[in-house]
Amino acid sequence: MGWREAARLSGLAFAELSLQAIYAFRQGNPVPPGPAHALAARARRRVLESKAIVSAVLAFLAAGAAFLVRAAPLASGVYGTPVRPGVFDTGVVTGLLSLDLAFLWWTGMQILPTFLSSGVLPVLEPLPIDERTLRRAAALLYVRLFDLPALTVLVGTPLALGVALGPLVGLAVVPGALAAVAFALALSLLTGRFFVRRVQGSRGGGGRTIVRWAYLVLWLLPAFAVFAFVTAAPALFDLLGHVGGDTGPLSAGRLLLVAFPVPLAVLPAVAATGPGGLGLGPAGTVAVLGACAGYGGLAVGALAWVAGSVARVGHVPVRSSTAGPLANEPIRARRAAFAVLVKDLRIASRTPGYAFVILLPILDALAIGLYTFGSAPSPDEALGLALGAVATAALVATFFGPAFFAIEVFAYSYGRTLPVTDRSVVLGKVGLVVGMYLAAAGIVLGFTLARVFDPALFAVFVLAELPAVGAAALFELGVLFWRARTKGLPITNLYSGAWVAALVAVPGVVIAGLPLLAFRLLGAGRFSVGLEAMALVAIAELAVVGPLALGRRER
Amino acid sequence: MTAADRPLSVEELSVAYGERRAVDRLSFAVEPGEIYGLLGSNGAGKSSTIKAIVGLVRPVGGRITVFGLDNAIDPIRVKASTGYVPETSLLYEALTPREFLEFVASVRRLDPGTTTERVRAYATAFRLAGEFDEPIVALSNGTRQKVLLIAAFLHQPPLLVLDEPLNGLDPRSVRLVKEMLVRYVADGHRGVLFSTHTMEVAERLCHRVGILDRGVLRGEGTLEALRSRVAAGDATLEEIFLELTDEGDGVRAAVDSLGEP
Repeated sequence: MGWREAARLSGLAFAELSLQAIYAFRQGNPVPPGPAHALAARARRRVLESKAIVSAVLAFLAAGAAFLVRAAPLASGVYGTPVRPGVFDTGVVTGLLSLDLAFLWWTGMQILPTFLSSGVLPVLEPLPIDERTLRRAAALLYVRLFDLPALTVLVGTPLALGVALGPLVGLAVVPGALAAVAFALALSLLTGRFFVRRVQGSRGGGGRTIVRWAYLVLWLLPAFAVFAFVTAAPALFDLLGHVGGDTGPLSAGRLLLVAFPVPLAVLPAVAATGPGGLGLGPAGTVAVLGACAGYGGLAVGALAWVAGSVARVGHVPVRSSTAGPLANEPIRARRAAFAVLVKDLRIASRTPGYAFVILLPILDALAIGLYTFGSAPSPDEALGLALGAVATAALVATFFGPAFFAIEVFAYSYGRTLPVTDRSVVLGKVGLVVGMYLAAAGIVLGFTLARVFDPALFAVFVLAELPAVGAAALFELGVLFWRARTKGLPITNLYSGAWVAALVAVPGVVIAGLPLLAFRLLGAGRFSVGLEAMALVAIAELAVVGPLALGRRER
Repeated sequence: MTAADRPLSVEELSVAYGERRAVDRLSFAVEPGEIYGLLGSNGAGKSSTIKAIVGLVRPVGGRITVFGLDNAIDPIRVKASTGYVPETSLLYEALTPREFLEFVASVRRLDPGTTTERVRAYATAFRLAGEFDEPIVALSNGTRQKVLLIAAFLHQPPLLVLDEPLNGLDPRSVRLVKEMLVRYVADGHRGVLFSTHTMEVAERLCHRVGILDRGVLRGEGTLEALRSRVAAGDATLEEIFLELTDEGDGVRAAVDSLGEP
């Protein structure tokens, strides 16, 4: 048996994985009505739709980078200081490759829990298939999870840059795109395995919960690639502009030249502007070529490691339980909605995909708060930044609201046999979204208070937006629960249910954004008028959405 | 006896998945103080019946009442009166048993003091102490089944609906559950619906059994009543089952078709 057989097996396993991802049979979701082949076809189509959405984002990034390098003379003035075209191209391609890597890694993070819990690989193992074929089938199955997004990076990035700057530039970016995909596949698997062992398998208890959340913060750092890149862009351009002048082997410019993905981004920049575009000099050229060769070797090694490891990771044992006495802790019964909130927090603390959703607006606020604190703006500027950060937190928290519905799919069937109303479940999850927003606002307030501005004004802004955050979350979760009850179609994670999630998340963000828009339009002249308008719109939204989401007959 | 006293009444229940009818106009009842065994081959419709009773699938016809409460009209009160163990151990795998039972106790609005005592007693009885704070994903199937059993008993419901509850349990735990069930209905008010395809268990544990075949009830009653129906005074439940489902000849033919091993 060879690659052909492995490809056939991986196709079968992928069909099963698609079914599990969309219908969550292993989580006890009953079989929806309809013939089996139609269900399988629908599952495949929905997984394809989700991959297409992720791919569209990656294609958009590639197109954006192509536009920027094409408009380099115009864009180079954005940061106020002139940037040479070669430096600008290197910076933009560096950003693009970093974002490609981060986004693919994040996608892998979303998929891996479903991949590991689907049990498709352990099913293949007892069959009379030789180990090599099984390993190949597992590797191909893993690659299929990323196929369309990875293909977008591998083909879309060279194509976009090729159209913008010529075919040679397109070809020159291929090694960078290949390395980004290879590293993303390996990092997804490596971190996925680590978190299944250390986070998912962590025992209960207060101290361990803190450690789990600390691990999860580390896990989420790649998601801040966009923010980090935008923040660091001026410094990056400045450093790149001086790499020719840096002569020491450990100088900042020289180190930057060998840091991933800069050397791979230098290749298309050199193809576009010629060898003198960056002013590298012989030593710089040697460093870039050496680093490119090194990353090429590392990428090949990463792919080989992925190919050999997926089969083992596919059924990685979490931990074996340990003997010991029953801890003398009371069972704490809570109100139903609060119990749902606590349960979701506990599940998220062992599930990176959900932890991401909870931590993103909070870490985002932390990053903006640190920036505000570090850049020493005037009190007025600090207030503007703080309100912007709070607005961002509101939008981010509501955009990811649908993920909290997906948590219910973990034990969908069992949960539905408990005497808990949809209203309690929705309220618990809305409470979590609102809590995320308030936590983010609190962090921003903490940092900006150090810059002395009117905290009362800040608090009024936060409270004026609060009903809109609640209304947006109520809308999103209300629609998803209604859909689940009527159509029996859960979304298991943001990746497999991206289409459904987007359908409710976009209107949700609009609901959260309308009061902010009202503030923007009416608050330009008079701050208090803007705040009043904002509060009025937010309260009106909650008054309309609340009864619709919570007022239906309980089932 | 009024409808409000009867733990479970199923009338003309039909369940369908698309074109396929899994349960066809099924009627039976669990009386107070009774353990009722629902028997059937794989795919006979046992789990579909149970899923309809606990509200997991919507029937295409019929009526289900628990102590007089219609589960189509008042599902939350029906769920509050029912303890359920599913056929497969489907739990929130990222929680520990303690966290899971806290969640169950919360949505069932149980008193924390009583619940703590009850959980401690059940965990000790099932020898779960060492695994009580491990994530469920790390536990064996048998241990997960014990957690589900504790969750089902936790609120001392008047009706227990158990779908293959002994799956994966060690012999000690099997004995424990059987003893628990016998004591549970001894008050004369509670009822247990017990699905299994292990005839020996049903024969020893159940007061009455219903034999389900391709979604239709082929026979129902005490062991003695079923024996008289098949006119065999010393027949085992397995023999009665095969007779009523017309599977006896089929089994012999299937064995013959396999030839010599």
